[in-house]
Amino acid sequence: MIALVALMLAWEAATLLFQISADKLPALSSVLATAWAGRAAMAEAVWTTLFEALIGLSAGIAFGVLSGIVFSSFRLLERMLLPYFIASQAVPIIAFGAIIVIWFGNGIASKAVIAFYLSFFPVAVNTLGGIRRVSKDEIGLLRTFGAGRLTILWKLQLPTALPPIFTAIRIGAGLALVGAIVGEWFGASRGLGVVLLTAMFDNQVTQLWAAILLTGLTGTALFWTVVALQKKIAWWQTEV
Amino acid sequence: MTPKIRLHDVSKSFAVGTRSIRTLENVALSLKGGDFVTLVGPSGCGKSTLFNILVGLTAPDPGGELFIDGALQPADHLLGRVAFMPQRDMLMPWRTVLDNAILAAEIDGVPKAEARKRALASLDRFGLRGFENHYPDQLSGGMRQRVALMRTFMFERDIMLLDEPFGALDALTRALMQRWLLEVWEGAKRTVLFITHDIDEAIFLGDRVLVMSARPGHIKTELQVPLPRPRKPDVLTSPTFVDLKRTLLAAVEDESRKAFAATNQQQLQSGDF
Repeated sequence: MIALVALMLAWEAATLLFQISADKLPALSSVLATAWAGRAAMAEAVWTTLFEALIGLSAGIAFGVLSGIVFSSFRLLERMLLPYFIASQAVPIIAFGAIIVIWFGNGIASKAVIAFYLSFFPVAVNTLGGIRRVSKDEIGLLRTFGAGRLTILWKLQLPTALPPIFTAIRIGAGLALVGAIVGEWFGASRGLGVVLLTAMFDNQVTQLWAAILLTGLTGTALFWTVVALQKKIAWWQTEV
Repeated sequence: MTPKIRLHDVSKSFAVGTRSIRTLENVALSLKGGDFVTLVGPSGCGKSTLFNILVGLTAPDPGGELFIDGALQPADHLLGRVAFMPQRDMLMPWRTVLDNAILAAEIDGVPKAEARKRALASLDRFGLRGFENHYPDQLSGGMRQRVALMRTFMFERDIMLLDEPFGALDALTRALMQRWLLEVWEGAKRTVLFITHDIDEAIFLGDRVLVMSARPGHIKTELQVPLPRPRKPDVLTSPTFVDLKRTLLAAVEDESRKAFAATNQQQLQSGDF
């Protein structure tokens, strides 16, 4: 908290002291004033982008967890498909941006797809890793109780994987948000990405900074929400 | 009288790289119903392999036979026949003490509500009253072992296998746990095979003590323990106890030396130190 206040004061002081022109770095006070003035529109932009990101993130989590489970049970599939998963992340999403808009249109779908694309991989990797963390002794013990494969998966492997899955979701959430924003740059009428782009094109520097601050805030809120969820659901192992 | 569980000619070899390691060689043992038998042996003698065979996680080499109540058991039918308590408690950190205790029974098909009811009734016997809603991370080592033991007892099978359950505990806690285990066992009358490194523990707990040889493991010595039950703490210094201990120490010392020499030999050959 103290760091935040100090930073804010430093920003304001710096712009005044060094007489930085408003084109390069507007004073914090004017940025905040601009944000407040356009708060209704800003709020709508945040919700739109957040919505796109959350849909993509949910799909990414579902697909990631499922892939992780499948790969843990079927080594052959892991060896065949995981390389493609990895390769998919090597290409910057921006290269696909135009293609995704062509395929999925200008609406929410294309943004959600990009959010999905960026978030599923960490979840898949951490699900697989988490499941593999279970020792043979633990599995052996459950087998002596008469447990079958599904019971072992449900009662032992998935709960063990839950903390690392949440860690992956923390990362995936941020990536999903960025994905949604970038997606908007390829064609959208509303959202944080649109606000950013518009401010850039219109050379509205103060507006641009306001949008940047808001994006940062949204990402932070998303991150801490995931952490709060992790503390509730995977409470036995929550390291930040 | 038909033995509760009987092993005949059980051997096990493992392929390690290009070599084949004979872990067990013609193991024969027999337990009567209600027996409490302890097993002592040097490290690496194949105790864990023997236990894995007894609970059904590993099959013996062809020719080995396992009988329960006189009936020959096919290797793949053993899983779930025997209550097993491993060295590490392996309690689930996301489950409460109560839910950890019912885990085996739950997997066995006992409805959760019913299992919880039974567990609640047993809390006093296992010294866990008041801790039923705690989590394993909040418990001491001794308490965690009691939860694991409760889990093992709640898995209602005639035969119980305990693999050095008190190995990680300090001497004082261990002494208490030994006496407490005997009390619980006398109430439940299961057939128990108990592995330990501790000779005092082996004599104090058992009706008989089996000594396993160094690898390839087989039962080298069997000693009757003619001490009266219930075992009192002062029995540890009685002349009978000391005699038994002397015999066992000699037998185990012998095998430990062989096992140690074998390990050195192996390291010299493979070149790793």
